[in-house]
Amino acid sequence: MVNALTPETTARPPRPRSAEPARTAVDPRARARRHQAVVAYLFLAPVLLFFAVFLILPLGFALLLSMSRWAGFDLADIKPVGLDNFTSLFADGSTFLTPILTNTLLFALGTVALALAGSVLVATCIDNLRFQGLWRTLYLLPIVTTVVAVGNVWKYMYEPGGLVNGALNAVGLDSVAFLQDPDTALPAVVVVQAWASVGSAILILTAGLKSIPESYYEAAALDGAGPVTVFLRITLPLLRPALLFVCVTQFITGLQSFALIIVMTKGGPGDATNVAALEMYRQAFSYGDWGTASAAAFVLFVVILIVTLAQLWIFRRRGEDA
Amino acid sequence: MNRRRFPWLSYLLVVTGAVLTVVPFLDMVMTSFKGPGESGTLPYRFLPEAFDLSNYRAAVDQLDLPMLFRNSVVATTLINASVLLTSSLAGYALAKLRFPGRDFIFRLVLSTMMFPPFLFFIPHFLILVHWPLAGGNDLLGRGGAGLTVSIVALAMPFLVNGFGIFLMRQFMVSIPDEVLEAARIDGAGEFAVWWRIVVPQTKPVMVTLGLLTFVDAWNEYIWALLVSTANPDVMTLPVGIQLLQDYVDPTRTMPIVMAGLVLSILPVLVLFLLLQRHYVRGIVLSGLK
Repeated sequence: MVNALTPETTARPPRPRSAEPARTAVDPRARARRHQAVVAYLFLAPVLLFFAVFLILPLGFALLLSMSRWAGFDLADIKPVGLDNFTSLFADGSTFLTPILTNTLLFALGTVALALAGSVLVATCIDNLRFQGLWRTLYLLPIVTTVVAVGNVWKYMYEPGGLVNGALNAVGLDSVAFLQDPDTALPAVVVVQAWASVGSAILILTAGLKSIPESYYEAAALDGAGPVTVFLRITLPLLRPALLFVCVTQFITGLQSFALIIVMTKGGPGDATNVAALEMYRQAFSYGDWGTASAAAFVLFVVILIVTLAQLWIFRRRGEDA
Repeated sequence: MNRRRFPWLSYLLVVTGAVLTVVPFLDMVMTSFKGPGESGTLPYRFLPEAFDLSNYRAAVDQLDLPMLFRNSVVATTLINASVLLTSSLAGYALAKLRFPGRDFIFRLVLSTMMFPPFLFFIPHFLILVHWPLAGGNDLLGRGGAGLTVSIVALAMPFLVNGFGIFLMRQFMVSIPDEVLEAARIDGAGEFAVWWRIVVPQTKPVMVTLGLLTFVDAWNEYIWALLVSTANPDVMTLPVGIQLLQDYVDPTRTMPIVMAGLVLSILPVLVLFLLLQRHYVRGIVLSGLK
């Protein structure tokens, strides 16, 4: 990029003499502009080079792989197969649609619902309290902790001799084999993902809450509105931009996540906690099937795109109604 | 004021939530001190009988902890240095310089934040395998294992960060043009303007971006797992600790894993607690775009 621009400033043929007066009048500014463009591209060179090698090239390559059969490292062995990888993902007997893609959506929906409910509740409550910074710091601890730590601690807490079952036993309930039972495994992982993401949601909602003018609340108090009315009529509608941001980002994170699942259940028991990103990872790095894995990655990418656009659309329509 | 009518209810909710947030950490620390046969047994007990430090010794003995630590530090440092430098340079160009294609490049930067990382695992891995003139490869990237045998592989895909560029640009837009113009009239080149005037003014946002980048890079798991599967010499702390699960003594596996986890998250926790106000600002800023 830089080299394409530099010759213009250096290797310019000399102009005829008659043009001289005009050039001295215009040139300094034009030259300064050109100079600034060259400098700008120099400043951007590392970034553009990186994007070319680690963004554009991989995207094209992944697309190529998704339409090929290839299980090695020799580029000459790539065999084009058209849309075979995609059709086999959706063929009868394939586990991709159910349970894997269904699990992915349930996982994302569950974490968004839990994290959103928890963070709205806690963020509005913290806003009423003293030592707000202290509370928010506490809630942030999970998100600065590696997924390996979060996953292992919760996996241990879910075990028959762990903390969660200890609490159940203390109130007279029987132990539950949370991660070994196909019915409870997915909800159990959802709780952990929500637990880990509440902190950042609280921060963003807090920023939204702070931007609501105090005078609205004073006016509502004068009108004798109760706390529930105030919350539903003032806080919630004015919090909508922050809620939208939390919703969309958490949903995308939910659809993409699998590190926590690798650490906690490896997708099991059976396929009970298997999700699309994990399936992609396994196809690629356990079975060496780059083609199927890339196809799965693109399908998931499209799902994420659709879900995100749908969310933005729904929120915008609600905005017009209100 | 109406907003503050039920403080006791707020306290109840917030404290309950805070306890739920902190208890897993406490359980991790407590378990890391439990002796043989004390963990995973019924009935559940929160506190250890005696604070047994031998699990920490076992975790250190079982793993090459200095190597894991070194790899984590090297990868995190490379990523942080590169992200700060490239974000600052690119942010300056996008905020303060005029050139054709500026809007397009800014949009490209924004769009990078939307691509899901898993789309890139396979291509990135293959690019590193076929990296020219590295790890026994020839100029066309054939022959050897490429960059996958190098510790640099851990950092490669994370050296530039779209969010970092965005954050820097947003911050630099608010620096008055007059200040930069005055420096240019005094004969400073763009590089000098960036280094002498812009960089000093962006120190606070550098700390914010640096801390966000540090936490992400230190905790990164999947890519590090992939790279160290190909080459165990570049294993990082999170990947190594996960291996402790295979520890042979079943009565003590959990306490040793927990001891390893405590050791691996301590650096991030300390840094976060010291600089958490910057971390908070980073998250809030990202929500306001």
